[in-house]
Amino acid sequence: MQAILDAISLGGTYALAALGLGLVFGVMRLVNFAHAELITISAYLMVVTNDLPLLLSFLLAALGAALLAIVTELAIYRRLRGTGPAIMLIASFGLSVGLQKSYELIFGALPRSAAVAPWMTGSFEFAGLNFTISSIVTVAITIAILLAMGYLIERTTLGLQLRAAATDFKTARLLGVRSNRLIGSAFAISGILAASVGFILVVENPQVDPMFGLNITILALVGIVIGGISSLRGAALGGFIVGFILSILNTYLGNARVYAYSYLFLAVVIILLVRPGGILSKRNEMERV
Amino acid sequence: MGLLEVKDLQAGYGKVDVLFGVSFSLEAGQSLGIVGPNGAGKSTLMKAIAGEVAMKSGTVQLQGSPITGKKPEDVVRLGLSLVPEGRQIFGGLTVTENLMLGLTGRRDKSSAKQALDQVRGLFPVLNTHADYQAGMLSGGQQQQLAIARALVADPKVLLLDEPSLGLAPTVIMDVFSKLKEIIALGTSVVIVEQRAHLVTAFANKTLIIRAGKIQATLTPEDAKDEAALRRAYFGAGA
Repeated sequence: MQAILDAISLGGTYALAALGLGLVFGVMRLVNFAHAELITISAYLMVVTNDLPLLLSFLLAALGAALLAIVTELAIYRRLRGTGPAIMLIASFGLSVGLQKSYELIFGALPRSAAVAPWMTGSFEFAGLNFTISSIVTVAITIAILLAMGYLIERTTLGLQLRAAATDFKTARLLGVRSNRLIGSAFAISGILAASVGFILVVENPQVDPMFGLNITILALVGIVIGGISSLRGAALGGFIVGFILSILNTYLGNARVYAYSYLFLAVVIILLVRPGGILSKRNEMERV
Repeated sequence: MGLLEVKDLQAGYGKVDVLFGVSFSLEAGQSLGIVGPNGAGKSTLMKAIAGEVAMKSGTVQLQGSPITGKKPEDVVRLGLSLVPEGRQIFGGLTVTENLMLGLTGRRDKSSAKQALDQVRGLFPVLNTHADYQAGMLSGGQQQQLAIARALVADPKVLLLDEPSLGLAPTVIMDVFSKLKEIIALGTSVVIVEQRAHLVTAFANKTLIIRAGKIQATLTPEDAKDEAALRRAYFGAGA
């Protein structure tokens, strides 16, 4: 039971990471590798503001990540818009490495640590089963954020514009959707989602180094591809699947867990062979001709 | 001064020029046809006016105010909407959601509900199919949705890029009869088409465009002379 809960918890965390990446990809067709550094800065901010009340510490971290996301959009991506996907991709690589080195200069190369929300590291017994508080809280936070994101995307004007822009940005602009404002909003929301991921990760592992957010970002990108790259629902679902499978593999492979990534990518290959456009691609492309 | 004034418009893609000094004027309450063979520059002209393709030189004025060089999202707020070639409706969104997106470019949001009611009255299928995924509509219904979506922004000028593309002849006649109603309601219309006869007979004035230049101006009377129309469309050698 704990293994399933852990898998749901990790799957939810990866879903949040994938959703943040998917939002930016949807409006800019940009694979933003620097999303990892948004997760990292939020984790650093929570470590350095650890003396403050937890909620305030998280809000500062979310604000910091959102601001950094907006600054990177204004300073780099906005200037490169229209130059082509290859240049944007290289720019996001460069930005990612540049931010990692900046963190190294500011926070040092060695991990910075602090016990963020230590009450979450305990466990309790229920109906004869042992549960960790962090996995329960993580699942609750993830569900709350995914529901909030679902409301934002499905029920608000901003969400409608994000969905339209993810399908066809040119036509969305012809209808009056303001490109700079929409892209800025997508980056800000992706920063807040990154901070949520940073919070969950730093509670589990309070050792923050300059590459703290890299691993989950790369795996979330894999999740986006298997979920369906042009769909926000697909991104979240794909991220969840990757996190869920990885957690289950790590639990049940025992000493063979070093092969967990091999099995994960085997599963990814099989999914893509069956659904080359991603799990939700067929549904989204449903169109009468 | 006309409602829409285009002067010496030159535009293209990268180093390749497509339009070479196109000029025309559209009066309020009128319709203008633009016809020409494939590659003549018709769609580029529409995109340049709507701000989707950057102009290299020339000016575009709407109601006496310059819209040259403005972004598409600003042009629609100034009162000019484009129904793009191929309709470009959002197939994964519902009919209602497509219409709601059309309201984004509307300046007076307080009358948005009346605007929605008006287009639903004009195109009843949008009412009966409100919750359908737009991609599941027929081609003619999708074209109606694309026109309605542009209309709810309350444009003074509506540009339509090949509205008959991929439609059956009877559906094309339905679309053009709706366009008559739209003009009667006070929106001026510019229609780009390859069907020269249809548009020449429909519009108050029709421009023939070839190789990026206006070659001739026709009136509805000219639609009666097939041979003259063919010569104007393909050039003197036709």
